Amino acid sequence: MSNDRSWRARSRGWLAAIALLAALAGALLVGSPAGLQLPNPDHSAVSQLRSAIAGIPANGTVLVAFDPDIGTYPEIRFAVRAVIDDLISRRARLAIVSYTPEGRALALAEIARLVDGGTPAGRVLDLGFRTGAEAALVTSVASIVPDSASGALADALRSRGGGLRAFDLALIVAGVDLGPRSWVEQVGTRVPGLPLVAVAPTSLRPELEPYRASGQLDGLLGTLRDDAAYAASVEPGGAHRPPASLAILVGMLAALAVLLQVGSRNIQARVRRAFDRRERW
Amino acid sequence: MNGLLSSDPAGVAGTWVAALLTIVVFGRLLGERRVFGLAQYLLAGLATGYLLVLAVREVLVPRLVEPLLHNAGARPALWPAVPLVLALAGAAYLPRRVAGVPVAILVGGIAAFALGGAVVGTVLPQLAGAIVAPGRPATVVNGLIALLISALVLVSFLHGVPRRRVTVGAAAAGRWLVIGGLGAWLGYLLVSRLALLVDRVGFLLFDWLGIGR
Repeated sequence: MSNDRSWRARSRGWLAAIALLAALAGALLVGSPAGLQLPNPDHSAVSQLRSAIAGIPANGTVLVAFDPDIGTYPEIRFAVRAVIDDLISRRARLAIVSYTPEGRALALAEIARLVDGGTPAGRVLDLGFRTGAEAALVTSVASIVPDSASGALADALRSRGGGLRAFDLALIVAGVDLGPRSWVEQVGTRVPGLPLVAVAPTSLRPELEPYRASGQLDGLLGTLRDDAAYAASVEPGGAHRPPASLAILVGMLAALAVLLQVGSRNIQARVRRAFDRRERW
Repeated sequence: MNGLLSSDPAGVAGTWVAALLTIVVFGRLLGERRVFGLAQYLLAGLATGYLLVLAVREVLVPRLVEPLLHNAGARPALWPAVPLVLALAGAAYLPRRVAGVPVAILVGGIAAFALGGAVVGTVLPQLAGAIVAPGRPATVVNGLIALLISALVLVSFLHGVPRRRVTVGAAAAGRWLVIGGLGAWLGYLLVSRLALLVDRVGFLLFDWLGIGR
């Protein structure tokens, strides 16, 4: 009897999972209706980031600290690519470095994508992987260009000191391990003239918002809606699109349904306990 | 489309492997454990192998071995690194006192950097930013609300201290504020994880099956 009941409960769970996946697939295929907009109508975060990027001089150098997690990178991937394409279209020169192993794997993939996409080789420099977490950030202040790096951009960075002061902007592509907070604490205090901007997964937003509010971060894309607003502002209908808003809505409705079910179960249990108590009296 | 895998044969093979592994992981939702377990072993093995290759190719060889082989006298600071790396590599076979030295240096160094940075880069600037300067009424009200919430939440963490009625009420209000904050953060997490799930489903549909491209 109890086996039969547990099998039925399990099969209900399987059906719910399949139904959710099918609903998401359907939402992706149907596309989002015109009235359902994912981009944030409040453009303050986008404007702040765009004004920080606009402050880069012609042929300026940007350090891209590429340290996202493999687990959360898909959430910010389209925004990161939109920012990088925006920088390249403004003729900025990018030097890409990673301080986490996961970030290094993703950085290599993105550098290959940039090169395959026709980005001129002199515009992108691979600074490799640096171990030591916070200590590595501190040593980067004095020296970040490895001896093996060659080319016009590497020479230009060496002629400007070879450390973080050689850059006009630092773009932090964040993950959980070594994110904008570490940059603000270790680099922001040592190189106060270097503007720091970040693209981070939504889960980091509560931690990072105070740094944006205090001006320690010069720009932050920290929610899916801000990411979508930025991508739409630099290339409306372009190649780097956010997740379909209808699919996100379907997922949120499913989550609400689960919450309601759990809540109603709790209420039922409480009511039952209250009745039992009254009967005992 | 994730755009990480190209359309050459290697990219196509990568897409197929990624798609099959995604299906295997989704299979866990339907109670399939054995194949899902294999996928976990695969991930752990690949991650370990990748870390080893990264450590050798991008750290030990270019930053330690090559500089010492080419011009050992020019970089005396690198010599102490050799016994430290060897002690770490052989930590499982060495006495704890020997193996503990590099670990102690590692942990101590990171803690010192993190603590110093937290004080200078977070605590002091955020304290300065939180001070309410006389200005627009809306800013002052905002600041006072933030002060009130912070105070109530801090009071809720008071344990083992004799409390009066007012303190008990404030602590209860602080606890509810903490719960509210956690709920809001979970809401952020939900949107974040939903985006990841939608990305995986989109990968199967668009990159693998080629539907709706």
